[in-house]
Amino acid sequence: MNHHPGAWGQPLPAHAQFDMFNPGQSYRQAPKAAPITHTQQPLVTGTSVLGIKYEGGVMLAADNLASYGSLARFRDIQRLHPLGKQTVIAASGDMSDFQWLKKELDSILREENGLSLTDSHPSLSPQHIYDFLANLFYARRSKMNPLWNAMLVGGWDNKKNESFLGFVDLLGTTYSAPTLATGYGAHIATPLLREAYEDKAGIDGKGPLLTAEEAEKVLADCMKVLFYRDARSINKYQTATVTSEGVKISDSKSVETEWGFAESLRGYGAQNQ
Amino acid sequence: MSSIGTGYDLSVSTYSPDGRLFQVEYANKAVEAAGVAIGLKCTDGVILATERLLHSKLLVKGANRRIQSVDDHIGMATAGLLADGKHLGSRAREEAGSFRENYNDPITVQILADRLSGYTQAYTCYGSVRPFGISTLVAGVDKTGPRLFCIEPSGVHYGYRATAAGKGKALAKTELEKLLGAREGGIGVKEGVDEVARIIHLVHDDNKDKDFELEMTWVCEASGWKHAAVPQELLVEAERKARAALEEGMEED
Amino acid sequence: MALFDQRPAYAHEPTVAPIEHRFSPYSDNGGTILAIAGADFAVIAGDTRQSEGYSIQTRYARKVWQLTDNATLATNGFAADGKNFVKRVKQRLEWYEHAHHKPMGLKAIARMIQTMLYGRRFFPYYVYNILGGIEEDGTGAVYSFDPVGSYEREACRAAGAAQSLVQPFLDNQIYFKNQTPAPGAEAFVPGRLPMATVLGLVVDSFTSATERHIEVGDGLEMYVVMKEGRQTTDLTDEGQLPAGMKVEELGSMGEGRGEKTFLVSMPLKRD
Repeated sequence: MNHHPGAWGQPLPAHAQFDMFNPGQSYRQAPKAAPITHTQQPLVTGTSVLGIKYEGGVMLAADNLASYGSLARFRDIQRLHPLGKQTVIAASGDMSDFQWLKKELDSILREENGLSLTDSHPSLSPQHIYDFLANLFYARRSKMNPLWNAMLVGGWDNKKNESFLGFVDLLGTTYSAPTLATGYGAHIATPLLREAYEDKAGIDGKGPLLTAEEAEKVLADCMKVLFYRDARSINKYQTATVTSEGVKISDSKSVETEWGFAESLRGYGAQNQ
Repeated sequence: MSSIGTGYDLSVSTYSPDGRLFQVEYANKAVEAAGVAIGLKCTDGVILATERLLHSKLLVKGANRRIQSVDDHIGMATAGLLADGKHLGSRAREEAGSFRENYNDPITVQILADRLSGYTQAYTCYGSVRPFGISTLVAGVDKTGPRLFCIEPSGVHYGYRATAAGKGKALAKTELEKLLGAREGGIGVKEGVDEVARIIHLVHDDNKDKDFELEMTWVCEASGWKHAAVPQELLVEAERKARAALEEGMEED
Repeated sequence: MALFDQRPAYAHEPTVAPIEHRFSPYSDNGGTILAIAGADFAVIAGDTRQSEGYSIQTRYARKVWQLTDNATLATNGFAADGKNFVKRVKQRLEWYEHAHHKPMGLKAIARMIQTMLYGRRFFPYYVYNILGGIEEDGTGAVYSFDPVGSYEREACRAAGAAQSLVQPFLDNQIYFKNQTPAPGAEAFVPGRLPMATVLGLVVDSFTSATERHIEVGDGLEMYVVMKEGRQTTDLTDEGQLPAGMKVEELGSMGEGRGEKTFLVSMPLKRD
C-alpha cells in the first residue's frame, strides 16, 4: 500500500510495481508540464463609455448594446453599475469579465457594509474602489490573465466634497481628467467633451463647471456622434449621475438622428447609375 | 455543582454516566452571565436588541456592539462571550456570502440558522475544542417573511415569535408572552421597538447590574428591508417611554 | 525518397493565418524626463502629458516622485509599470526606515532600484528610471537606469520619447561636447553649473521637445533638491525664475540632514 498522500484513493494500475523501499517515489508519473495559458480574447463586448465632471457631481454615459463580434447580440444590457451611495462604474470591453467584476465588487461592498454596523467604519470612497480596481487590473495583466475591460469610475467624495473621475484598463493603466472616454469614444468624444468643458471652465479648469443640464446635453451630443460613426454602438443609452445626494441611473433614452443625407451616398441609398 | 471533581466535566467527548455533557452546560452558564438579548418577530419586520452592560466607565460610547450584520437582510445578536460572537458572526457572513455565490439568491434565515447550528454543534463533539459560550439570535426578513431563530451552545436551534437569551431571560420571555398573548394578530415594528426597550429596561436591575447601553436593530420597510440600526431619535424616544412606564409601574406597587 | 520525408516548411503553413488577438502586457505612454546634477543640488524634471498612440489620455499625470528628503525619482515608459514600481520602491524605503531608523541614502536607493529592476529581468518593468538627489557626501547626483537595472552615475540624463532630441543638447551644454575653451581659459568641468543656468536648460529642453515631439507637452514639473544650508534665494526670490512659474517648497519627509526639495512647475504648449 502506498501511503503517500498524492496516491490516496488511487488504485494501482495492473502493470504497476510498487517500490516498497522508495514509497515517496510514487508509481504515478510526474504531471506533464503543460504551459498555463490564460489569455483570452473578448467575446461579447460593449463599446465606449463617457464621463464628465460638472458642477456638483460627475456624469457617465454608456449605451445598452453588448455585441458579439459585429452582431448586435444583446440590446438591453446595462453597462453602468452603482457601488454604494457615492460611486458608479461604467464598463466597455468584455461583458463577462464585467459581470464577474460586478459580482466581486458587490460582495466586497456587502461585507464592508455589514461590518460597518459593528465597528462603524466609513464606507468605501470612490478613491478606494478605484485603487482596488487599478490594483486588480494590474495584478491580472501581470499574470497574463487580464480582465478585458476599460472602465471609468465616477463618484462623489463626501469627505473632500468633490467629484471623482478615473480610468483604468486591462493593462492596469490609470489616469484621471475632468473628461474621460474609453475605446472609440476616446477618439471621437474626447475632443467634444474637452471643448465643452474648457469653454466654460477654461484650460486650467478654474472657471465655472458645466451645469447638470449642460453636461447631459454634451453627453447626448457625443452619444449621437458615436452612434453615427461607431458601428458597434446603438441609439439607446443610459446616463448615471453621482452627487452628494447619491447615485442616479437614468432610464434608457435615445437621440434624434437624421439619415436623409445618406440617400445621396453611393452605396447606401438607391443607385442611379 | 455535582459535576465538579467527577472528571466528567473536562471534555465534550466524554458523557457523564447519566448522559450529560457538562462542558455544554458550563457554556450555558457563560450565556446566563451576559446582558439580555431580545428578538421579536413582528407582522412587518423583526427587531433585535441587547442590553450591553458597561464593565467600565472609560469605554467609548457605542463600543463592543453585540449585534452584527450577516447579510443585507439578516442580523444576529449574541449573548455570552463577545469574541465567540464575533467568530460566529464572521462564519455567518461566510455562509451567507457563499450561498449568494452558489445560488445567486440571498440566503434564507432558516438555512442560515441551520448551518450555524450545525457549526455550533460540531464544537460539542471533539475533545480538542470547547463549545461556544453564546446563545445567538438570528433574525431577518427573507422571501418567506420575517424570521427569528435562537441557537444555543449545544447546537440546537428553534424558531420563535419572540425570545430572549442571557441574564434575566426568564423574566423577558414572560413579558414577551404577555405582549404577544394580548395581541392576536401580532405586533408591528413601530410598537415593537417601544415594547422591546421597555422589557430590557424592566429586566435590568438598576441596583444590582452595571450601567448599560441599549442596542437595537431591525429589518423592516423603514430600513429598506435591510438590517440596520434603529434610528437614534426613535431609540431615545423608546427609552424615554420605557423609563416612564417603569416609574408608573413602581407607583402602582 | 528521402527527398520527400520532410516537406519544406512553407508547405505546413496555412495560406491564411487566423486573426489572433494575442495579449500584450505593455504599452508606451510617451512623455519625457530629464535630470541634471549640480555641485550641491539636483534637478529632476518631467512633463505631465500621458498618451497612447495619437491620443492624449490626460494632460496631468505625475512622472516625478519625491522619495525622501534627498532623493527624487522620475519614471518614463509604461505608466502602469511606472506607478507600481514607484509604489514598491516607496514601500521598501519605508521598511528600511523602520529597520534602521534613518532614511536610505541616495546611492543605496540606486543599488536597490537596480536589484528590483533586475529581479524582473524576464518580465521587465518597461520603465526608464532617473534618480536624482543629494549624495551622502553632499554632492548633487543623478543615476540613470535601463528597464532591467543597468545603471550609472552621471552629470545629466534625458530619457523617454524625446530623449534623442534632448540628450544631444545636454551633451553639448552640460558635458561641453564640441566646445573648446578659449585659449588660456580654464578647462570645462561638467556638473558645476549654477542653478539658474541649469533650470534655464531644463525649461529650454522641454519647450523645444514640446515643439518637435507630439508626445511631449501640457505641463512641466521640475523637482529641485538642494543640499542642507544652501541658499534658496535663487529659487524663491522674485525675478530669479522666468515668468509664469509656480514654486512650492515641499515639506520635510523625515529626519534628514536638512536638505530641501522644491517643486517648480509651469505650463507647456498643449497642441
